[in-house]
Amino acid sequence: MHHYSQPVQSGDVSSGNVHGIRATGVSKRFNSVDALSPVDITIARGEVVTLLGPSGCGKTTLLRMIAGLERPTSGTITIDGDSPESASRRKRFGLVPQSPALLPWRTVEANARLLQDINVGANPSSLPDVVELLDRVGLADFRDAYPHELSGGMQQRVGLVRAFALDAPYLLMDEPFAALDEITRADMRHLLATLSEPTNTGVLFVTHSLAEAVYLSDRVVVLSSRPGGVVGTVAVDLARPRVPQLEDDPAFFAIETTLRRLLYSGASAS
Amino acid sequence: MNRWRDSAALWATIGTIALLAIWEAFVRIRNVRKFVLLPPSEIASTFLETPGFYIDNIWVTARHLVIGLAIALIVSLTFGALLAAVRPLEHASQPLLVLILVTPWVAYISSIVLWLGRGTPSILFLVSFVTVPAFVYATVGGMRGADPAARELFASIDASRWEVLWRLRLPSALPSLFTAARFNVGLGLAAAYFAEGAALSTDGLGEAGRRAVAFNEGSILWTTILCTAALGILGQVAVLMLERWLLRWHASQRRTTR
Repeated sequence: MHHYSQPVQSGDVSSGNVHGIRATGVSKRFNSVDALSPVDITIARGEVVTLLGPSGCGKTTLLRMIAGLERPTSGTITIDGDSPESASRRKRFGLVPQSPALLPWRTVEANARLLQDINVGANPSSLPDVVELLDRVGLADFRDAYPHELSGGMQQRVGLVRAFALDAPYLLMDEPFAALDEITRADMRHLLATLSEPTNTGVLFVTHSLAEAVYLSDRVVVLSSRPGGVVGTVAVDLARPRVPQLEDDPAFFAIETTLRRLLYSGASAS
Repeated sequence: MNRWRDSAALWATIGTIALLAIWEAFVRIRNVRKFVLLPPSEIASTFLETPGFYIDNIWVTARHLVIGLAIALIVSLTFGALLAAVRPLEHASQPLLVLILVTPWVAYISSIVLWLGRGTPSILFLVSFVTVPAFVYATVGGMRGADPAARELFASIDASRWEVLWRLRLPSALPSLFTAARFNVGLGLAAAYFAEGAALSTDGLGEAGRRAVAFNEGSILWTTILCTAALGILGQVAVLMLERWLLRWHASQRRTTR
């Protein structure tokens, strides 16, 4: 079965079932190693879906395949009915990589503008105001600073602004806070929740942090390792907007516990 | 308090004065022949007798150096960007680059003159030819070293090859290009001086030096040598200042005093 990312006829769009990111039976082999056994996943606009799993479970690989950076060995991926390559040509993704990947020769503001400045032809007619976004993440005073003058947390905030500045319908976040200390991490997930709250953006968030998964998500897809596969999906029905006090709520702990058990059952099964 | 101890400019000046004093004293006390080494005071007076002669020749050699390096840089950036993109081509070009690097140019200058004719074309060719390898290595290494995460970021919105080259790969290569430039200023100056003397040109510091040797003019020779050194220092300073400005974002340019 090697039917990969067949674009859907435009007539089907009206039926509604091609909206969102759809990965169907997607798997990946590297050489002779199964990195990811077939996975089905959907992300709708306005929804935050988290891939949670131990390292080596293929969660980053899945994100990279959706972003068109890697081709699946089998299965189909569509983004609003489009192939990943076509979606990236049309700038449908705001990618937040694990390292901030700021360009050291660009100022904070110029870095925040980077994705707007490239492939300009595919920009939407109106783009968000980068200065205002920088203000919202508390970096208004650092517009003219260079990346090396910022702390790790501040650098990743620029990375977030850079992705949001694209006003893309989908955000793909690959463990963006993994390199930060615990306290900064908590600040960052609170910030991300407020940033993405009033938008109609679909977010795919990859993490190995339980707290991040519960705090940010509408749904959490738990993966097991080697080969990666879905162990279970947990709906997070906590109220929105998410606020930091939520992390002391018993309901929060309950979902965290469910996720932890799923994670460990996946680990022991493999 | 002890601020004078940390003043780099002050100590550099003291070092220069000490060097000149020791040099002067050594030549006078040991009574060294003019041709072997000239004392600084006589170099200064020789220069002041005909300053126009030396300044004209400095200008000629400076032009050979700058134009030669510019040609080398353009060739290297084009060639290097290609090699950075196509690995087999990089491997295939290694023999040529190493050959240019290790072959003494003293040996083949007459062939170049025979081929390109006397004067400027041969001089510019030699300066560019010998400085290309360092620039190419710097370009390839720097462009390859571009942050992989940034490359994926560019790919995620389908950046064109040109955008990747201009906005990511070229700036990534700047630090190594400047290191190569500092090295190449010295190399290119030596090549320009030598080629001017050997390519039957009519002016330039190399030609002035060759004639001074031919007519056994020790004071003119040493004044020419010092003028060449001054040009070299000027070149290094120019590269350094350009680097400070263009690489103000780079780790090497950061003030560490905090």
